[in-house]
Amino acid sequence: MTGGMQRSLDVLRRLLSHRGALISVIYLAVVVFVATFARWIIPYDPVVQDLTSTLEAPSAKHWFGTDELGRDLMARAVYGARTSLITAAGAVVIAGVVGIPIGLVAGFFGGWRDAILMRIVDVLLSLPGILFAMALIAVLGRSQLAALVAVGITGIPSFARITRAQVLSLRKRDFVMAVEALGGSSTYNMFRTVLPNSWSPLLVQVVILSSVAILLEAALAFLGVGIPPPTPSWGEMLRTGKSFLYEAPYYAVLPGIVLTLTILSLDTLGRTLAWVLEDRHELGEEAEAEAEKARP
Amino acid sequence: MTGYIIRRILQLLPVLLISSAGIWAMIYAVPGTPIGALVGENATPEQVQAAIQRVGLDQPMLVQFWAWLKSALVGDLGRSIFSRDPVFDLIMGRAPATLQLGLGATLVGLILGIPVAVLSALYPNSWLDRSLSGWSALALGVPTFWLGILLILLFSVELRWLPSASTYVSIFESPWGAIRNTFLPALTLGVYVSGIFARFLRASLLSEMKADYVRTARSKGLKERDVVGRHVFRNALLPFVTVVGLMMAAFIGGTVVTEAVFTYPGIGRLLIQAITQRDYPLIQGVILFILVVHVVINLMVDVLYAYIDPRIEYS
Amino acid sequence: MSEPVLSVRGLEVTFTGGGRPVPAVRGVDFDVYPNEVLGIVGESGSGKSVTSLAVTGLLPETAKVQGSIKLADVEVTTADREVLRQMRGQDVGMIFQDPTTTLNPVFTIGRQVTEGQVAHGQIPAGNARGRGIELLREVDIPDPTGRVVQYPHQFSGGMRQRAVIAMAMAGRPRLIIADEPTTALDVTVQAQVLSVLAKRQADTGAAVILITHDLGVIAEVAHRVAVMYGGRIVETGPVHEIFKRPQHPYTVGLLQSLPRIDAAEERLVPIRGQPPNPARLPTGCTFHPRCPIGRDRERCRTEDPALREVVEGHRSACHCVEEVAALLADTATPARAPATVAPQAAAAQAPLLAVDKLKVHFPIKAGILRRRVGWVRAVDGVSLTVNAGETVGLVGESGCGKTTTGRAIMGLIKATGGSVRFDGQEVTRLSPGELRKARRNMQYIFQDPYSSLNPIKTVGDIVAEPLHIHGIYEEMGGAKRIAELFELVGLPRTVLGRYPREFSGGQKQRIGIARALALQPRLLILDEPVAALDVSIQAQIINLLQDLQKELGLAYLFIAHDLSVVRHISDRVAVMYLGKIIEESEKTTLYETPVHPYTQSLLSAVPVPDPDARHTRRRIVLEGDIPNPSKPPPGCYFHPRCFRASDRCRVEEPAFTPYPGLPTRTACHHAGPLGASS
Repeated sequence: MTGGMQRSLDVLRRLLSHRGALISVIYLAVVVFVATFARWIIPYDPVVQDLTSTLEAPSAKHWFGTDELGRDLMARAVYGARTSLITAAGAVVIAGVVGIPIGLVAGFFGGWRDAILMRIVDVLLSLPGILFAMALIAVLGRSQLAALVAVGITGIPSFARITRAQVLSLRKRDFVMAVEALGGSSTYNMFRTVLPNSWSPLLVQVVILSSVAILLEAALAFLGVGIPPPTPSWGEMLRTGKSFLYEAPYYAVLPGIVLTLTILSLDTLGRTLAWVLEDRHELGEEAEAEAEKARP
Repeated sequence: MTGYIIRRILQLLPVLLISSAGIWAMIYAVPGTPIGALVGENATPEQVQAAIQRVGLDQPMLVQFWAWLKSALVGDLGRSIFSRDPVFDLIMGRAPATLQLGLGATLVGLILGIPVAVLSALYPNSWLDRSLSGWSALALGVPTFWLGILLILLFSVELRWLPSASTYVSIFESPWGAIRNTFLPALTLGVYVSGIFARFLRASLLSEMKADYVRTARSKGLKERDVVGRHVFRNALLPFVTVVGLMMAAFIGGTVVTEAVFTYPGIGRLLIQAITQRDYPLIQGVILFILVVHVVINLMVDVLYAYIDPRIEYS
Repeated sequence: MSEPVLSVRGLEVTFTGGGRPVPAVRGVDFDVYPNEVLGIVGESGSGKSVTSLAVTGLLPETAKVQGSIKLADVEVTTADREVLRQMRGQDVGMIFQDPTTTLNPVFTIGRQVTEGQVAHGQIPAGNARGRGIELLREVDIPDPTGRVVQYPHQFSGGMRQRAVIAMAMAGRPRLIIADEPTTALDVTVQAQVLSVLAKRQADTGAAVILITHDLGVIAEVAHRVAVMYGGRIVETGPVHEIFKRPQHPYTVGLLQSLPRIDAAEERLVPIRGQPPNPARLPTGCTFHPRCPIGRDRERCRTEDPALREVVEGHRSACHCVEEVAALLADTATPARAPATVAPQAAAAQAPLLAVDKLKVHFPIKAGILRRRVGWVRAVDGVSLTVNAGETVGLVGESGCGKTTTGRAIMGLIKATGGSVRFDGQEVTRLSPGELRKARRNMQYIFQDPYSSLNPIKTVGDIVAEPLHIHGIYEEMGGAKRIAELFELVGLPRTVLGRYPREFSGGQKQRIGIARALALQPRLLILDEPVAALDVSIQAQIINLLQDLQKELGLAYLFIAHDLSVVRHISDRVAVMYLGKIIEESEKTTLYETPVHPYTQSLLSAVPVPDPDARHTRRRIVLEGDIPNPSKPPPGCYFHPRCFRASDRCRVEEPAFTPYPGLPTRTACHHAGPLGASS
């Protein structure tokens, strides 16, 4: 649909007109690009050890320095980005694929379906996310898949709740009831009217949850229950780097900067996006009619 | 009021029951036999026998769960596979440390967060607001474990003012020692929540500033100080109380990471240690404990909210 | 006359927020004297509310104010914050529109009512409670001692607005500004609030500025009137002059587009086009694009007319003042042809829609097991019929169950009991699939045109949606049919690809009607279809509905709270109170000879846009508020507020029976016309 394309382009244009969002997008694009084409960009293998040059400070040869096994820290940071991005993407997909339908059904039908589904969500929320993930990993064992699944499951409640809240507010809008009055079935209404009108808050949630997922994955690795070594991961680098604070402070500092900037970028992007999308709905005559009310 | 509290407790029961069933079922999901998971591979026959009797492993699942729940309710969570100490005692030994850290962090969060939010909301979209919002974003975006590392680098490695590894010293026994040991972890965690507090309170204040009753208050000729300080603040504080409560509940999770950074001997470290050692009774016990604390704090927040908001009727 | 309390000269307000500046007020002059009510009337965007905020210095910082506002020796435009603060509460009090949001939910009423006086040091804080009780008593709030410690949510809407009046008048200010004070209230409550406002104004001798869009309220309360359009006063004068001898084409247009409760049906004469957008004002006279006189005149297009005195005290801003009288004369008789012809033939056949003892009860659930603890009897035994080609009006105040009735007939809400027969087919017991098919013949129009159209679809797709849902898009003629529908409701086919947000409220309502007509229904259920629209646009939509009815032979069930609109459009009218129909009759009989005390009070409470009627009409001001439909009173639901209630009414519920000698059915033990004076 050309209308949809036009709207997306409009949102993108407005988003990028904010300096913070523009910088974030550029940074994230660089991270994604470097992580994807690491093999051709980084001259070092992240797992190959070189015991002749351990704990070297940053230099022209090793921009981020080397670790206690002589591995290039920049290579490990770049391949660690890969781990983070894959985990985040997978987790968001799991959270969305499970959470959105839960919220949709609970909000649209209400009644016993709502009661049961929301109790399940309450159970997921009865523990802080990181503990839930840790408990799950305690059962599943340490692996990249376990981390991905665990982080994904902790994201289900937020998707379910946001979708449900959105559906509930849309259900009160007359245009949803209008479709029912025109003879549209519940399924038609749910997927053709309610869902297409919910994409804005869900899109924002995808961005925010990505940052939460990256943070959570790093935290699990930092605690030593995330992705097992030798797979490089930011959290694991910080965990090991912490043991060499006196000998090699850069070890724990540099990967932390990369991780922090990633999270900050996603956060900025998510908030600007929410702001732009919210703003868009108020444009046109309604906004100008509001000028009349002129609230201080 | 009492009726309201009882109703809220009864509403929480199903969630508590299902969650604890999940925790109980953990031992069936792990590789190996359930009894192995409960007492460890090299347990004595007596220990095996005691465990079988406690949870009745030969009984149907439901009966087993009931037996486990019954003993859990009276504080019998089994024994640690490694130390052989009762799980309950191990948890109680660590709880005060986590409590002290959590309260310290909340204090830091409030001290840093509230002024930031109020200043931002008073001058929305000014350079001050933008820089303070940037600070909140930074406080939220910097992972606590990395911030902890930076603080150790500064205060312990460079300045050598504070120990890099903290121990638990009760504030009642040695206030100075407690502050020396709790300051860095509480600051680390406090900076993070100050970001949440500031962002939430700012949004809450700004949306209340737009409310019609603010215009009414101004039209009565109230001083701007009273319009904001009484009318707006009182309304904005209601949801903020909930957030503070929820954060305190979430701290138990947040402290896991912070405790690991500073090797602080709280509940979180106990859990990590249990997970790395595959000490299932201890894992179960700690998670159950955290679950109960989490739910109880949430309940207290609800009750407090109902108490301070005149619109909620208890009947 | 004495010195004016307020003197405004050359007031201009420009909003400089996002992008280009928006002129909201463009050169306004007026004075208000003690003991006087100045009514300011205008449609949305006319600048009337901005003017009032400018007077109190409460505009946001993005507003640039120029000119002079002199209020009690204070020059508001240049005064510093502290002087303005001292002025508010002591010299000027304000009453705002929506009493649900203007009070702070977390403070007691007593505190809020007295807070201003305490802040100004007029009373010590220790006396606040006693003063609060006194103030509440002055605005007729029952049990003021008990009420003073309650919170806003424990007050009904009418009581809240009375508390706001008490608050505004607490410091005995010399000027009260009331901005749409009764717009959010029901008509019987509006009558209470207006009478309290009038009483307190007479007691204190304050000057009042009453801002409203409702010409009836103006005619009822104001002494002088200022009509605003496009950010300027276009006409001002004594209230009788304005209503009897308007001197501006816009005022004439407003009066002619207004359905009257006190007159027989005539076709409305709407003002063409839309009210101007403050950001894109027309050149010259801002009214010229909509003006029947100046539309094609060079002078009106280029030169903004000044406000000039026409007769003593009556001023108008029109280049062609001398032609306005003719405008009034030639539309008065011939152009206003009778609107609808009552359908006689249809009555003999079986009714198209027959609703019998319809009940919709919503369970009230409480406790941990969400057990049912009671019922809200939203609709409690409603019976009515609608014949083919006929319009039946269903009126009542908010919460009476009229909307629920409409939705239950559509099957959008499940009926608890009773039957709904459409064209002989029982619809309450249909399966969801069958119901969807049955809905093709019955369509629903929603109140709020802003929320009834899917914001992410083009309007062409919105109107086509029902055809796609029923899989008959091609069969019905596809794109050609959609274009036809747009033309039918008076929209050009060039707008098909646009989105709802690009349309004004009236245009959106036309799109909603086009969508409903797509399936060629025989009955339309219209739920407050014009309530959200400005008066001039309302008339356009009413005329459209009448034309469509004639052209397509549609039957209407017209649900509304506005008794004037209902009288104008309906053939028969049913009045609802607390889930029941209490009186139903042929239109003229119901309005001329109502027999139920509720109908009588309701009709007497409606403000009539005729200042002469102020003294001749007898007004019955109902006491109290509409009871909670989950705990209706025993016996007749209306007895606690009824002026004829007897012991019998307290115990025995009256049956809904024909009233002898009139084509009326009513549910009252003491039914009968009012005394000769009515």
